[in-house]
Amino acid sequence: MYSGQSGPPRHHHSHGSHASGHRTTVQHHHQHQQPGAPPGADPQVWHWFAAVDTDRSGYITANELQTALINGNGTRFDLDTVKMLMKMFDTDHNGTIGFQEFTGLWKYIADWQQVFLRFDRDRSGSIDGRELTEALRSFGYNLSPPLLTLIEQKYASGPTSGYGPPPGITFDRFVRACVTIKTLTDSFQRFDTDRDGWIQISYEQFLTMILSTP
Amino acid sequence: MSYGYGGYGGPPAPPGYGAPGGYGGGFVPAHAPPPPGADPQLWSHFIAVDQDRSGAISAVELERALVNGNWTPFDLDTVKLLMNIFDTDRSGTIGFNEFAGLWKYIKDWQNVFAHFDRDRSGTIDEQEMRNALGQFGYNLSPQLMHLLQMKFASDLRTTGRAANGISFDRFVRACVVVKQITDSFRRLDTDRDGWVQINYDQFMHTVLSLP
Repeated sequence: MYSGQSGPPRHHHSHGSHASGHRTTVQHHHQHQQPGAPPGADPQVWHWFAAVDTDRSGYITANELQTALINGNGTRFDLDTVKMLMKMFDTDHNGTIGFQEFTGLWKYIADWQQVFLRFDRDRSGSIDGRELTEALRSFGYNLSPPLLTLIEQKYASGPTSGYGPPPGITFDRFVRACVTIKTLTDSFQRFDTDRDGWIQISYEQFLTMILSTP
Repeated sequence: MSYGYGGYGGPPAPPGYGAPGGYGGGFVPAHAPPPPGADPQLWSHFIAVDQDRSGAISAVELERALVNGNWTPFDLDTVKLLMNIFDTDRSGTIGFNEFAGLWKYIKDWQNVFAHFDRDRSGTIDEQEMRNALGQFGYNLSPQLMHLLQMKFASDLRTTGRAANGISFDRFVRACVVVKQITDSFRRLDTDRDGWVQINYDQFMHTVLSLP
């Protein structure tokens, strides 16, 4: 039975200025002065925007974003997570992230960094099965143990080797896992109008729900 | 069509157009002498992938060995899909016998990919995807085809609302996803009326089991 009423991330941390020093960050390529910060722009966000916009075009391309986003272990964000972020924050659908859009993206990642840090109890830099269970429970999802195992395996940053637990979930895949679970739960609830935990759907609806997940 | 490997004992790689290790994607070519008893070509590829000479291929070794036509590494979810299918003894590694199956699977998919990549772009566009799925017996609505293409497109660049092409790794994953969803749906649709009753736990299980 589901009970995921509110989705992650929860915003009970102050935001805005944690740029680096934590496990996951926007990679800082070039230390250069960027002229022309828009009036009222947060100087730190502008600074990072300029650092990610390596060709100084005034906007961030998907490739620039993918180059800039790295996990705590130094790996790049996976393509599906970068695509998810572009889809969320390229609100004018022009294929790039302008400064206003970047401000939203920046806050989103900073908020998720806080969530990630909060649940990475053992400070391993990745989320293991127990940490994942706690995170999803705190978001309001009451998932069965077999389902939690399945999620742990699906989003693990590598295949399960032998009989041990799968490798942990890196930041990029953790965010994608949480967004996917929220998206699926929300679409299930939309169909479950009488709230009995069962829905009746067609093949077309089923596929649409699945293919709409990041 | 050819999926030539440049490796020992293999046919020469197709000149110019083409991919490292085969059309669309595949293994990085190898050079190694074949030991007696094993299919020489297969063995040479196996030991080339087994870089630490442990006698088995780890996920990391597999990930390093598999590249698309444009030399990008296979995405992690596709590597995990392959490990899931072919690590039949669940050892966490691919032994030589398991490798034989994996090898054939990739070669077969290379042929499929080459067949449907009509414009020889090295990726599968929406029309090519429609043809491929149609041939496999899946007739998805235009809306679903578009969603599928957006989800599996490999290139981040967006040109308006058009989705970009799908590279080899993601093409295999997309096809497996469509097959698996359809199979699950049919299993649930016991009275064959095109509708299923499903509870939350079943629903989540079905979706999260997809590669």
